[in-house]
Parts: sequence; structure tokens; C-alpha cells
Amino acid sequence: MGKIPLKDIFLIFLKIGTFSFGGVYSMLSLVERELVEKRKWLSQDEFIESVAIGQMTPGPPIVNTGICIGYKLHKIKGALIATLGQAFTGVTLAILLAVFYVNTHDNLLLRSIMKGVGAAVVGLLMSIVYKMACRIITDWKSALFSFGAFIALAIFKLNAIGIIISACLLGIVIYRKRGQA
Amino acid sequence: MILLGLCTTLFIINALTIGGGYVMLPMLQEEFVQRHHWLTNQEFLDAIAIGQITPGPMTVMNAFIGYKVSGLTGAFLAMVSSYLPCIIIVGLLVKFYYAYKDSILVNSGFKGIKAAVVGLLASVVITLGNTSLVDTPTILIGVCSFGVIAFTRLDPTFVIIGAGVAGAFFC
Repeated sequence: MGKIPLKDIFLIFLKIGTFSFGGVYSMLSLVERELVEKRKWLSQDEFIESVAIGQMTPGPPIVNTGICIGYKLHKIKGALIATLGQAFTGVTLAILLAVFYVNTHDNLLLRSIMKGVGAAVVGLLMSIVYKMACRIITDWKSALFSFGAFIALAIFKLNAIGIIISACLLGIVIYRKRGQA
Repeated sequence: MILLGLCTTLFIINALTIGGGYVMLPMLQEEFVQRHHWLTNQEFLDAIAIGQITPGPMTVMNAFIGYKVSGLTGAFLAMVSSYLPCIIIVGLLVKFYYAYKDSILVNSGFKGIKAAVVGLLASVVITLGNTSLVDTPTILIGVCSFGVIAFTRLDPTFVIIGAGVAGAFFC
């Protein structure tokens, strides 16, 4: 694989970051089409490996997949450039919206709009919990993990970061012993 | 000091959460809303909505939060501290992929985290629901949005925009 110019990496990830509404899956299909099929910068296997790495590392999977591809193409510079390109449009828009939001916070119409939006976000999150639960809670042990975390946060108000770290340690103890990981 | 707190919090959260933007939400809500009071629950919901309607990953909501907390510098630093742990970890991992992939330690740890996150997120949804589902129109919007996103393939962006329009008329 010859070196691909950084500018090209930036532009392609800018395109990917700009035209992928609705999150991870639309973004992945765009990455696959642009980088594997059209440009052949990556083989299908490298693409799949990058997606896997994205999913098994902390942080948003799609960002990590992009970082991984950038890294494969151009080492650490590629990783930085890919991140920058991917985030550019979204971040710019988010800041513009933030400016607008802070300045018109007291506007009555905006308030009712955001009231509706807030309710929809709660519905959206419920459906995320539902989908995650269907996928992840597969036996009584995972159910117990999940229920324990719920109680720890909802009733005992324990620290969420602490709960995550404990879940990680407990996971190591329980799943490793039974060889089920 | 606020900036330092913002950066370390985001850095830690991004280094710990595996599996996507939504997984960060319980920790973001606790740190930013409950502990530091940098945002209200309503503002937190607005940030999620903005993360959802802007193209690209949900993480851009951190830019919105950063801006809300301390202006443009806040937005910029929020993004840097969100992406930095990812770049470091992925950069290291590409080299050790196969050793890492089969590591029992890593896999069993993450298995615990993933299951716990479902419970954490459920708890946060209840907290946020108490803030935003306050009367018949908002409850209806919430239920419809759940139904549409859970059982159809419609993009959540449209649901949020639709809810904004509905809010303008009925809320």
C-alpha cells in the first residue's frame, strides 16, 4: 500500500463525517463504499478488522474505526487527520447551534420546541435501552449485572464511573473463571 | 479550574466507555448535571438532541456541552479531550490487535461493563423522563418516539425534528 496524501485522507473523512446522518450504521456503509470499493485504500478484511477494533475499544466505535483506518493509512498523522475530518462538520454545526441556543434560551417558541424534543429524546433513549437489553442480556448473569448497576445508580446514587470500573473487575472475576468470555 | 475539570472528566469517560455514544450518557449526566451543575436536565436533553441531529458521531454533543460550560475554548477542549483517549488507545491497539482480541482479561472485563451499562442507562432515562415527560403532550411524544425508533427503521434525526415541530404546536 503506497502512502496516500494526508489531504486526501482529510477530504474523504470530511465527506464521511458530513453525509452520515443517524449514526453508526449509515456511516459504516459510507466508509465501506468510499474506501474499500471506490478507492481501494483498504481490503475488505482490513475494513472488517478496523470495524472490530472500533467496537472493542473505548469511545465511540465509529470514531475509533476512523482512527484505526487513518492509522493504517498514514500512522499517527493519518489517525489525527481522519479524526479531524470526521468531526469537523458535526462539531462546527454543534457550536453554531450552541451559540444560537445560548442566545435565544428565553424565547418561548424555542422553549416549546425543545420541550417536544426533550420528550422525544427520552423515547429515543428508551428504545436504545430496549435494543441494548435484547442484545446484551442473554442469561441471568448479564441480567444481574445490569440490574445491580441500575440499583446502584438509581437507588444508592453511587458514582457511575465507579460502577463501570466495578463491573469491569467483577466481569473479569466471574467470566474468566468460567471461561465464558 | 472549570476547564480542567471539564477536560479530565471527558477524558476519563471516553477512556472507560465501550460501545458507542449512548454508553457515555449515564456518566455525562452524573458528572455534568448532578455533581457539577454545569447543565440542567433539560439542557442535557437538548445536548443529546443536538448530538443526534448533527451529522457524524453523537460525541459532537460534547462540543455543545463545552460551549455551554465555557464558550469556544470549552467546546474546543471538550472535543480534544473526548478524542484523545481514543487516538491513544486505538493507535496502540492496531499493533497488538490479535493479542488483544483474544485476551480473556479484556473480553471478560468488557462483558461486565456492557451489561452494567444497560442498567445505568435505564436509570438515567428515568431521571430524564421525570424532567421532560410532564404532561399529556410530552408523554405522547415520548411514547411515539420510543415506538417509532424501537420498531421501525426510521432515522432518529427525523423523529427529533418531528418532535420539535409537534412541540412548537402543542407544548
